[in-house]
Amino acid sequence: MTEAKPIEGTAASGGPTKRSARSVFAGLEIDGRLIGMIAALIILWVLFNVLSNGLFLSPRNLWNLSVQSAAIAIMTCGMVLIIVSRNIDLSIGSILVFVALVMGLLQTEWLPNVVGLGLNHPATWVIVVIIGIALGALIGGVHGVLIAYIGIPSFIVTLGGLLIWRGAAFVLARGRTISPLDTTFQLLGGGPRGSLGDVLSWLVAGLGIMAIAYGIVASRRRRQRYGFPLRAVWADVTLGAIGTLVVAGAVWVANSYPWPPALAAAYAAEHGIPVPSGGLLIPTGIAIPVLLAIAIAVFMTFLAGRRRFGRYVYSIGGNPEAAELAGINTRLTIMKTFVAMGILAAIAAAVTSARLNAATNGLGSGVELQVIAAAVIGGTSFAGGIGTIAGGVLGAVIMQSLQSGMVLIGVDTALQDIVVGVVLVSAVGIDTILRRRATRG
Amino acid sequence: MSIRRTASIMAIAALVFAACGGGGATTAPAATTAPAATTAATAAATACKVGVAWSTFQEERYGLRDEPGIKAALAAGGGEYIGNDAKNNAETQASNVAALIAAGVNVIVINAYDPEAILPSVKAAVDAGIPVIAYDRELENANALFLTHDNVEVGRMIARDVVKAAPTGNYAIIKGDKTQTNPLFLRAGMEEIIAPLIASGDITIPAGAEVDTDGWKAEVAQTSMEQILTANNNDIQAVLSQNDNMATGAVAALKAQGLDKTVKIGAQDGDKFALNRVALGTQVVSVWKDATELGTEAGVAALQLCKDPDISKVAGATASKTTGGLDTSALLLAPIPITQANLQVVLDAKWITEAELCKDVAAGSVTGCP
Repeated sequence: MTEAKPIEGTAASGGPTKRSARSVFAGLEIDGRLIGMIAALIILWVLFNVLSNGLFLSPRNLWNLSVQSAAIAIMTCGMVLIIVSRNIDLSIGSILVFVALVMGLLQTEWLPNVVGLGLNHPATWVIVVIIGIALGALIGGVHGVLIAYIGIPSFIVTLGGLLIWRGAAFVLARGRTISPLDTTFQLLGGGPRGSLGDVLSWLVAGLGIMAIAYGIVASRRRRQRYGFPLRAVWADVTLGAIGTLVVAGAVWVANSYPWPPALAAAYAAEHGIPVPSGGLLIPTGIAIPVLLAIAIAVFMTFLAGRRRFGRYVYSIGGNPEAAELAGINTRLTIMKTFVAMGILAAIAAAVTSARLNAATNGLGSGVELQVIAAAVIGGTSFAGGIGTIAGGVLGAVIMQSLQSGMVLIGVDTALQDIVVGVVLVSAVGIDTILRRRATRG
Repeated sequence: MSIRRTASIMAIAALVFAACGGGGATTAPAATTAPAATTAATAAATACKVGVAWSTFQEERYGLRDEPGIKAALAAGGGEYIGNDAKNNAETQASNVAALIAAGVNVIVINAYDPEAILPSVKAAVDAGIPVIAYDRELENANALFLTHDNVEVGRMIARDVVKAAPTGNYAIIKGDKTQTNPLFLRAGMEEIIAPLIASGDITIPAGAEVDTDGWKAEVAQTSMEQILTANNNDIQAVLSQNDNMATGAVAALKAQGLDKTVKIGAQDGDKFALNRVALGTQVVSVWKDATELGTEAGVAALQLCKDPDISKVAGATASKTTGGLDTSALLLAPIPITQANLQVVLDAKWITEAELCKDVAAGSVTGCP
């Protein structure tokens, strides 16, 4: 995480209200860039909501959006660290399809027929996911060794990986589509049955709010211990309140989306529940892939901000030579970022194929560019050393909001591509200009 | 397969060598007769020698369906087969065609990897007096016989069966990649069937319910379908998908809403998982283009061209225009729509095994499955 510095106003801007708003953000110690992105997202959502006559901000669409963003968000968490350390990974779409096909073949052919577990064995999904993640880590590790220890530029290694793993995927399945998948594995992809329901969702919300409270208190104690200036009490309380509201609001929205009537009726018939006249309303709750994405984002933020590995990544990105001279094992650190990326691509492979209920040959093609775009829109700098996981995840949500929002209001696909391109370049452009102003001021 | 391919490459090399050794630096037309005179071993079967320039064997169908089809047809008609693989490379294919011309083939079948880049090679063959068959990919040359499945008809067939299953209501259309011409042909065929019904008000395509799909990707089609269902509050009765892969995405989106059994969806390709969906009743139709049949027809047409090089006189060929506007002849094969009524067809053709077709299908629910 980049530490938020209070940005002093330049001559051009700086009326009294702006100053006080700034001092509020400074007091809260929130990254101004993050605030900007959240504001952009809110504007985008309101705009789409108006254009779609209130459909965009309906619980159903927001729930859709959360599931559609999950796989990209998961991979963006890894890509941020890769880009921060001045590298790039173009191979993630190909790792995704290769791992997805291996997992698909494992659960539909190898485990049922060769190992003899039979179809839809309860242990299948665990074995499949573990092997998939191990494979992702291995592929990432190979890329990492070639980049960090042999010294081949990451662009070249992962461009090779882009070709190799997609080719390997084709050889493996001979162009077949593997479908349908294991019934338990499918839950990883979300869908009403792959969601937590209202009770569990509220439980998750409760845990989340407790974690936020603990985080604030722990940070206060830590500062006290080291004699750092404390955040004002009002700021701590405000932060806690905002966090609580966001978590509770998100879960409330997810729970306001009831199961589709056809599915609810089928569920009622299965369990012998009488259907009331208004239809059976089963709250859907948080989808499993969304929970996964959130958990991964929290874990990666912790890793990036609080662990030695994460701090090393930022030091290397800030100045590789200085990091090396400071005694950081830069090679090992770089290799680890690619292992992490491989693991996240494998998890995204599980989510994407489970959601589609199929492992197809074209899965994940072009996804590397979406993920890189999400990281960059989220404020990650190609110059290295700058970028946050939270920003990357927000970037992923902005990208997906643009795409599914435009499909919702029926924008022509050619125009969609243009809009996404313009947003990408302007987001980075605005960020660059603001950053230059900040350093000058 | 690699042994066979090596053998065929060696055969070509031998023939090239023989042609050069026998005739020296001859002009191309002279080369067509040279091997017959110089290679005694193949002399008996050179009445009709057909060379095929494949674009790739990386896709399953070519080695498994197209090539055996053409080989069998040639063997039955007393022709000889020579094939080579361009491995998805335009330069390789150009030199492959040159090798076939040098080998003295009587007919060249080109399954173009890059239909633009191969045109000089096509011209060389035509100039050498060798009839050319454009196999499954159109060539902008008036002297090439275009042999393909009729994609406009595929579009009609998808729409016809879906309309039969859902005569009224809201339709969504999932189209393929907008940079290619195939989606246009397919869409034109669909339009012929649904236009009168749209005019009469029986069928409506809601705003935004007709979408392009980058790279024909299933996951993109899934997101589109989710958004179409959201925008229309699930009030969609039928989906016309331009291929089975995208239908996989659309069906996943429908399934998440519990609509996979009620919304009627049709597509094409005869992919195994799609045929399984047809058997299960979650897809109305998958229009199947039999690649073996395409190979067989190429063999039969080549045998006729050996006797008479006029492409317009091939049985079944009709006058047509290329996309670029050249007058030529085309031999368009009718695809076969596979529905629950004729599953036996794909089983008989050994396109799919009964186990694959009937996976999870309730016993006795459809003919063709036990």
